[in-house]
Amino acid sequence: MTDLPHSADAVVVGGGILGAATARALARTGMKPLLLEARAFGGAVTGASLAAIGTHMHGIEEYPLLRHAGQLWSDLAEATGNPFEYNRQGKLCYILHPEDRAVGADWVAREQALGAEVALLTPEEAREREPLMTGPLIGATWAPDTATVNPFLGLRTVLRLAREAGATAVANTPVTALRIDGGRIAGVETSCGAVSAPHVVLTGGPWTARLAAMAGIVLPIRPRQAQCLASMRQPPGTIRRVISACERAGGVDSGYTQIQQAASGQVLFNTVTAPFDPPEGAQDHIHEVPPGFVLESIETLLMLFPSLAAQPLLRSWVRFEGVTPDSRFLAGSLPLPGLHVAAGDNGSGYCRALMLADHLVAAVTGAGGLPEDLAALAARFYAPMRFAQRDAA
Amino acid sequence: MTMAADLLSCDVAVIGAGPAGLAAAKEAAAAGADVLCLDLYDRPGGQYAMQPGDPSGPLAASEAARLGRDLAEAARAAGVRLLSRAELFWAAPEGEGFLLYAALDGGAGALAVRARAVVVAAGAMERPLPFPGWTLPGVIGAGAAQRLVKSGGALPFGGKVVLAGTGAFLMAVASTFAKAGRRIDHFVERQPLRPLSSLTMLAPWPSRWSAAAGLLADLRRTGAQQHHGHAVTRALGRDRLEAVEIAPVDALGRPDLSRAERIGGVGALCIGYGFQPVIDATTALGADHAHNPALGGWHCLARPDSGETSRPGLYAAGETCGIGGMRPALVSGRIAGLSAAARVLGRTPDPGLMRSLAAELAKARRFAVSLAAHWPAPEAPPVPLPEAEVICRCEDVRLSDIRAAVQAGAAETFAVKMWTRAGMGPCQGRVCGAALAAALAEAGVPPGQAGYNRAHLPLRPVPMNAVHAALARTARPDTPGTGPA
Repeated sequence: MTDLPHSADAVVVGGGILGAATARALARTGMKPLLLEARAFGGAVTGASLAAIGTHMHGIEEYPLLRHAGQLWSDLAEATGNPFEYNRQGKLCYILHPEDRAVGADWVAREQALGAEVALLTPEEAREREPLMTGPLIGATWAPDTATVNPFLGLRTVLRLAREAGATAVANTPVTALRIDGGRIAGVETSCGAVSAPHVVLTGGPWTARLAAMAGIVLPIRPRQAQCLASMRQPPGTIRRVISACERAGGVDSGYTQIQQAASGQVLFNTVTAPFDPPEGAQDHIHEVPPGFVLESIETLLMLFPSLAAQPLLRSWVRFEGVTPDSRFLAGSLPLPGLHVAAGDNGSGYCRALMLADHLVAAVTGAGGLPEDLAALAARFYAPMRFAQRDAA
Repeated sequence: MTMAADLLSCDVAVIGAGPAGLAAAKEAAAAGADVLCLDLYDRPGGQYAMQPGDPSGPLAASEAARLGRDLAEAARAAGVRLLSRAELFWAAPEGEGFLLYAALDGGAGALAVRARAVVVAAGAMERPLPFPGWTLPGVIGAGAAQRLVKSGGALPFGGKVVLAGTGAFLMAVASTFAKAGRRIDHFVERQPLRPLSSLTMLAPWPSRWSAAAGLLADLRRTGAQQHHGHAVTRALGRDRLEAVEIAPVDALGRPDLSRAERIGGVGALCIGYGFQPVIDATTALGADHAHNPALGGWHCLARPDSGETSRPGLYAAGETCGIGGMRPALVSGRIAGLSAAARVLGRTPDPGLMRSLAAELAKARRFAVSLAAHWPAPEAPPVPLPEAEVICRCEDVRLSDIRAAVQAGAAETFAVKMWTRAGMGPCQGRVCGAALAAALAEAGVPPGQAGYNRAHLPLRPVPMNAVHAALARTARPDTPGTGPA
C-alpha cells in the first residue's frame, strides 16, 4: 500500500476511470500528480457501469469529440495489447412504435452527414445481427462503432499506466477540505493528512458538487440513481451487440436501456426510468436496488429476448451517476485559480474519460490537450460555469 | 414470462425451519400471531435436525431427527403455515413491515409475502479454508458430507473417506456416519488428544456427559484411524482427488512438513473448519452486524432478551446471531418468536418467562463458548498457499490476483471484489468468503476491518421469470416515473 505524499504537482480527487485517466494524462506531461480515492478505485460509478464507448444518439454537436474519445480507447487497446476486453461489437437501438421510426431515421441521417457508418435497419436486418432478439421491434438503428470494455480491467489498465508514467495513487483517503491560500488553490486536506499542490482536479462523479462546495463553488451536479443486473453466464453469442432503446418521439422521456453480454458470459442489463430526485446524500447510504427497477429491467430484457426467461438472475447493484441540467459534462477550470473539474457524466463517463483527461491537461498546464479544432469545441461544450453565467445573465 | 406468483400476508414471517426457526414460529403462533415459516429444503429441520431421506432407516430414530419431527409437529399444531422448498431471494422494508420474495420448488414458482414482523433464523454455512488442492473434485465440506449421508446419497467418489478439520462438529459428522453404518478410513483433528482438558471443559456440564461419550463411541464405530494433532496440508490429484497429505501441527497450528505423511487411494476428503452465520437476509434489511471469531465471524446483532435487531420489527435467532449450536438456537428462537408476536399483537411478553429464557440462553451460550475455546477455529489456512492457488472458483481468481489487488490499495473485501471479481460469481462470495478474509488478513487487514460483502438482490440465483412474478405481486411504490413502453 502507498503512503500519502506531503506535496504533489496536482491532486486529482476521485479514483474512477476519469480520475485515473486524468492522473495518467498529467503524468505524461512530466508532472507528478497524486490521485486520491475516498474508498476503492473504481468502487463507485466506474465499477458499476456497463462501459459502453460510442457516438450514436449522444448528440450531433458533441459528435466530433465523441468520435475522438472512441478512437482514444481503440488506440489504447491496440497499444496495450487489449488487457481490458475492448470489443467493438456495434450497437442496435430497437424501435417499438411507428412514430419513433422517424426519430431513428433523423438521427441516422444527421450522423451519416457527419461521416458515420450508421444505418436504419428492418426487423429482419436487426435479427441478422442479433438472432435471439425476437421481441416485437419494428426496426432498429445500427451503429458499428460502439464498443464495450470491462470496466474493472479498463480502470486497472489506466491506473497502471498512470503509475508507470509517474503518478501516485492512494485509496481509502477521503478529501475533507480544499486548502485555499492567497486566492488560489493550495492543496487538499484528507483523513490521512494534508497535501499541498498548486492544482486540484475534481473528478468525484456524483460527489463532485460536495467537493466544489468546499471552495464555495456551486456546481449543478445531482446524483441520479441507476441500477444494473447480471444473469448467470450464458453461452457466447447469446447477445452479440450493445442493445439500447431508440429515442422516443414527442419529447417523451423514454428512459434508458442497455443490454450486453460481458466476456465472462454474464448478460448485463439495466433500465433507467425517468430521473427523479433521490433523497439527500443517497449516494452515501442507498445500496439496495429498488425492486421496481428490477421488475422493469427484467420486463425490458424479456420483451426483447423472451428465450432468456428461465435463465437465473445472479446479482444486481446500485450506482449513482452525476447528472447536470443539460446532460453535458462540466469540464475545465473553475473560478478559483488552480481548481478544475470534470464531472456530470450522466452515466457515460467511461466513453469520454480519455478525451476529457486530455482536455483537462490543457486546463491545468495551459498547453497540450486535445487537437486544436476539438479543444475549442470542448471548451465551449463542457464549460463548467455555464449555468452560473446563464443565471447571472 | 407468464409465471404467476402468490401474494401471502402474515403477522410474523420466519425465515428458516431449523431448530431456531421452528421454535420461533411455534411460540409466535401459540401466542396468537398468524405465522408463515419459509424454508429452503424439502422437509423442515434444517441441518442439525434434518429429516433423513429414508424415513425407516437407522438415522430416522436419532435424537436429532426426532427433535426436527417434534418441532415441526408442534409448530403445525400451533397453526404455523410451514412452506418447504421456498428460497428467500430478497427482503425489503415496507412501511412498518416487510416484503419478502421467494422462489418455490427451485424456481418453478414464486411467492411474495407481506409480513408485519420477521424472524430470521437462516442458520449457518460452512467456512471453507483454502489449502493447496482444495478445489479438486472429491474435496467437500464436512457439513455437506453429513447432509449427503443423512439424505441417503452416496459420497461423490469411491475410495477411502477422510474426515478432517476441527471441532465438536467433526465428531457429530463421524457420529452420523456411524449411525448410518458408513465407514470412515481416517479422522484428522487439528487439536491433539487432551483428555484432561476435555474432562475439565465438560465437568460443569453433566447434562452433556452422555452425549460426549456417545460421540466418542460413534467415532470408534466408524473404524477410522485417528490422527489427533494433525492437519491436512495438501490434497493431491490430477483431475480429481487421489491422495491427502497430513502433518502434525504445533500449539500454534503450524504443521511440521518434515513429518508429513501421505494417505493414498482417497475418494473423498470431507473437511470442516467450522461454520459462519448466514447473514444475507439481515444485511439486506440493514440490521447491524459485528465480527467475532468465537461466533463464526460476522453475525447479526440481536438483543439477548428480545431477539430484536437494530431494525424495529426484525428479529434474529439461532446461528444467524453467532455460531452456538442447537441449544442456544432453540432458546433464542423461542425468545424471538414471543417478542415478534407480542409486537404485532400489541402486547408485552410475560416478563418472568422472558427473564428465565434469557438466563437459559446465557447458559446455553456459555457452553457454546467453552466448546469454541476448546476447538478454536483457525483464521488462517494451515499452510502457506501457492500464488497460483484458486481462491474464488466461480470467477477463477487466484491468490496472486488478490495479493496484487491488496498491493494496489484494496484494503477491504469490497475493494478486492471490485478489483478481482472474487465473489461475483454464482456463489456470490459464500464459498470464498473465509478464504478472501484469510488472504486479506495475511496482507495486514484484520477481518473485522475487511468487512463483508453486502447482500444484493437476488440473495441466490433465481430464474428471471420467477423474480419477475414475485416482484410484480407487490405495488411499485418505489419506482418513480414510468418505464419504457
